[in-house]
Amino acid sequence: MLLQALFAGFFGMAAVWFGVVVFRTSSMVRSALALLFSMTAVGAMFLAMEAEFLGVLQIMMMATEMAIMAIFMVMYMMDPGGLGQMDMSHQKRAAQAAGVLGALVAIGVALLTSWGPAANAAPGAAEQTRLLGIELMERSMLIFETAGVTILTAMIAATAAAIERRRR
Amino acid sequence: MISGPREARPSWLRRLVARAAARELAAFVVPGPEVARARGIDPGAAGLAIADTPRHASVLVVVGELPEGLRRAAAVAYAQMPRPRAVFAVGAENVSPLPGPDVSAALGQEDLEEGVVRLREMFAEGAFHPNAPEFDVPAIRSRTGYVCPMHPEVVREEPGQCPRCGMDLVPREAAAGEHGEGDGERDHEEAPSGEHGHAEHGAHDDMDHGGMGFMSMVEMTRDLPRSSDGLQMEWVEVPFGPLFPGLPAGLALTFTLDGDTVAEAEAERGIEGWAPLEGLSGPAETFADRLSGLDPLSPVAYRLLASRALENAAGVAPDERTGLARVGALERERAASHLNWLAGFGRLLGYSWLEERAGELQLALLWSAGPEEVARLAGEAGELARRVEWTPLLRRRLGGIGTLPAGAEASGPVARAGGSAADARRDEEAYRRLGFEPVVLRGNDALSRLRVRLAEIEQSLDLVSRAGSVSTPVVAPGGGSSGTGAATVETPRGLATLNLILEGGAVVAFEIGTPSARHLKLVKPVSEQREVADALVGIASLDLSPWEVVR
Amino acid sequence: MSFLPVVLALLAGAYLVAVLEGWVSTGRFRPAGPILSGLALLGQESLVPRTPDRIFFEAGPVLLLTSALLASAVLPLGPGVVIVDLATGALFVNAALVYVMVALVMSGWGPDAAYAMVGGFRFLGQLVGYSMPIVMVIAAVAMRAESLATTEVVESQAALWNALYQPVGFVVFMAAAMALCFLPPFDLPTAPGELAGGVVAEYTGWRLAVLRLARAVLVVTVAAAVTVFFLGGWHGPVLPPWAWSAVKTLAVAAGMLAAGRYVPRVREEHLLAWWWKLGIPLALLNIFVVGIMLVTVGG
Repeated sequence: MLLQALFAGFFGMAAVWFGVVVFRTSSMVRSALALLFSMTAVGAMFLAMEAEFLGVLQIMMMATEMAIMAIFMVMYMMDPGGLGQMDMSHQKRAAQAAGVLGALVAIGVALLTSWGPAANAAPGAAEQTRLLGIELMERSMLIFETAGVTILTAMIAATAAAIERRRR
Repeated sequence: MISGPREARPSWLRRLVARAAARELAAFVVPGPEVARARGIDPGAAGLAIADTPRHASVLVVVGELPEGLRRAAAVAYAQMPRPRAVFAVGAENVSPLPGPDVSAALGQEDLEEGVVRLREMFAEGAFHPNAPEFDVPAIRSRTGYVCPMHPEVVREEPGQCPRCGMDLVPREAAAGEHGEGDGERDHEEAPSGEHGHAEHGAHDDMDHGGMGFMSMVEMTRDLPRSSDGLQMEWVEVPFGPLFPGLPAGLALTFTLDGDTVAEAEAERGIEGWAPLEGLSGPAETFADRLSGLDPLSPVAYRLLASRALENAAGVAPDERTGLARVGALERERAASHLNWLAGFGRLLGYSWLEERAGELQLALLWSAGPEEVARLAGEAGELARRVEWTPLLRRRLGGIGTLPAGAEASGPVARAGGSAADARRDEEAYRRLGFEPVVLRGNDALSRLRVRLAEIEQSLDLVSRAGSVSTPVVAPGGGSSGTGAATVETPRGLATLNLILEGGAVVAFEIGTPSARHLKLVKPVSEQREVADALVGIASLDLSPWEVVR
Repeated sequence: MSFLPVVLALLAGAYLVAVLEGWVSTGRFRPAGPILSGLALLGQESLVPRTPDRIFFEAGPVLLLTSALLASAVLPLGPGVVIVDLATGALFVNAALVYVMVALVMSGWGPDAAYAMVGGFRFLGQLVGYSMPIVMVIAAVAMRAESLATTEVVESQAALWNALYQPVGFVVFMAAAMALCFLPPFDLPTAPGELAGGVVAEYTGWRLAVLRLARAVLVVTVAAAVTVFFLGGWHGPVLPPWAWSAVKTLAVAAGMLAAGRYVPRVREEHLLAWWWKLGIPLALLNIFVVGIMLVTVGG
């Protein structure tokens, strides 16, 4: 139990540290990969908390997503290597305010929500996976299907918009 | 454990490592493996693995005498090789500015193999020699330049502001002078760098407070070149060649890469070829020898060209037997040259079976004693052609690549793959008597060029066996004669022409037209707006020889 | 604890794969070849390019090795001979191997050299191609086993190998496996003739040795994954289970290494077009067919 808490804490710290690195570096590629490793650390936290399926999924999905983000950042940013010491930050006041507000809300939610009684032991990994599947296929089906179809629509719309512009 | 290649006190471990290094020699061949094969040597069979980049090589093999520009490129490549390293000169006397060769050998497979044995001994004993000399080429000494982070094409000697966007220029390392004269040099300055803010330059230019509002991509990309797909991205200039494995050996190009698309292709610093014209004039008796040394990839064709022009000037005509022997020699060279091209093409495509098989056949043909042996090889070449034709994925890979624009000036297999029957051999008496008809295909792409060359290999080998002789043509111009002469030869790459003025038994002036000089103009249309690999395939399908292009 | 035997088996497998690779590429069978070349590389200078992204340059090869090792941790060599028998093992293999791409992008970006960078991003494109079909095929395999645990997957094939039960999935998975190991004809990131080594071009000395070791371990791991998912893992007559695993894994590795010799490298645009227009539909069809078979005929 202590070991678990230690690991969860360690990966949590790693996630925060990589998150800080995202903004501390001026190299786009480093920034994207730091975000990736931050997400990986969150996945490792899930693993440390015995949420095996979620952890593995997080580790797998984030790698691809962040790498694709990296390539867009390299493509569209003028100085992907960060050689120019260009300051990428802007609207600093608003950003600071939003950051503090967001943190307060997150802490508030964490503290004020009644999370119910803590479980003594997590269900087995296979059981978790089964329960997750049943959740997806029963109660949350509508939410996930709606979200999925919405994303698909957005993708098709974006592609169509891009083609339209080229034709003109 | 092992702190470096220049460590004193050989311990047992170092001796072991040195012996392992001696067994595992990897060679970076200068100017390239195809030139080695054309000169009849096979470093692979001698136990040297062929490395693609100097970084992975321990031996720099210099094959034949090189022009100065290529020697400088070789020196850059050598400077990039990790120690322990050695220079192995095969048939090359002058290798400066490279350090003197550690081992030298004459041009020939046995000499090469003996040289490799000596290299192994040298590595086993001296890999960690305490007095290994420093080697430094001026070409890659660094200096600092100042670039705009937004506009990489803006480069200044002094710090200041970018004329385009007004940002402060930032320092960067730049190679002095000869950048890119070595495939390994990988242009450290132009690739977008991952270096993370170590530059000691306080260019914290707040984009916020500039005149642009914040980060307007439209404003910032306004002056950047636009790609064909309408996106603006950073363009990177990358040298390819003259020692790049995916291009004909000696060909030096600069690609402007837009992502992995070639936006522009230029000859590197205007150097298109290596053919020296200064030393070629002189006594007529040795003119053919001198001209045949022009292009290591097709010496026979140029010897024949010189002989014909001299005969034309002197007003003598070769007899029928000489004519046939010349057909045999030229056609054998054509088949060998095409096979050599095929091996290089296989390497570019990552089709290792083809690379090996075509290389083997080419060397066997080059070493073959007479028409009987050539006839035997013809069967194997036919087998090879059928295997290539049935290779999965090959048509997909080559179809539609390297298409030439209408009206492009081409000759040789490149023209014949585009549906033109242009072939100087049709007008020659000896060929007409052998019933020669050129191979013509429609397609005008890399695939049809491959097919034309495959068919020509079989056709040429058939002509050799029917000509019945492969002796190198001998020239016998009348001593002390004068006049003007003109000649054409259908070389393996296309039509070569020569006009010369003979005065008192000496060539005083001449003019030479070579296929590669014409085909160099096709590099742009086959490579621009293509993905890098496709651009390289398109260029390779032209079978350029920078050796026959005037410097 | 089966940690030691599995790791030793993995290293032995990597060694044999290196011997096989040398045999396939040079035509000479040299059992001591990898030891010699390893020693020679250790004796060589390990150069660092002039303006590298040092962290990426150093971390790339190590991450490649780590991701292959992690993936191998959940692959069973015999009944109970597995380092961690994760309940989500089949998914974990894929999760770990995604970092092959991250490692290659890092080593491509690190040296600050154009050929390497193009090579690194080429592999990202390659991943965009093969990653969807590979997960879908694994999903069909898990459907039959009714579990994501690799040991259960092997047990489900006691009567009939998945290679025969779902041949379409097997073919797609083999192609994806070769793309994942960037073996010819999918060697776009290294592309010897086109990019002069691409991602590996700037590595020398011991760093190159790490990279080559990582690649060999990767090939063994992926071949072992093919064995576990499709060739019945340790099942087989006469020989002990570990021997069957070893034989099948090496046979798959040899097949993957040899196949690329006889075909040209695939063009990048074709690679993506084929994976998305052919690979994904086939993988979906495979899921559908396996689903119907499970409902009607049973596993």
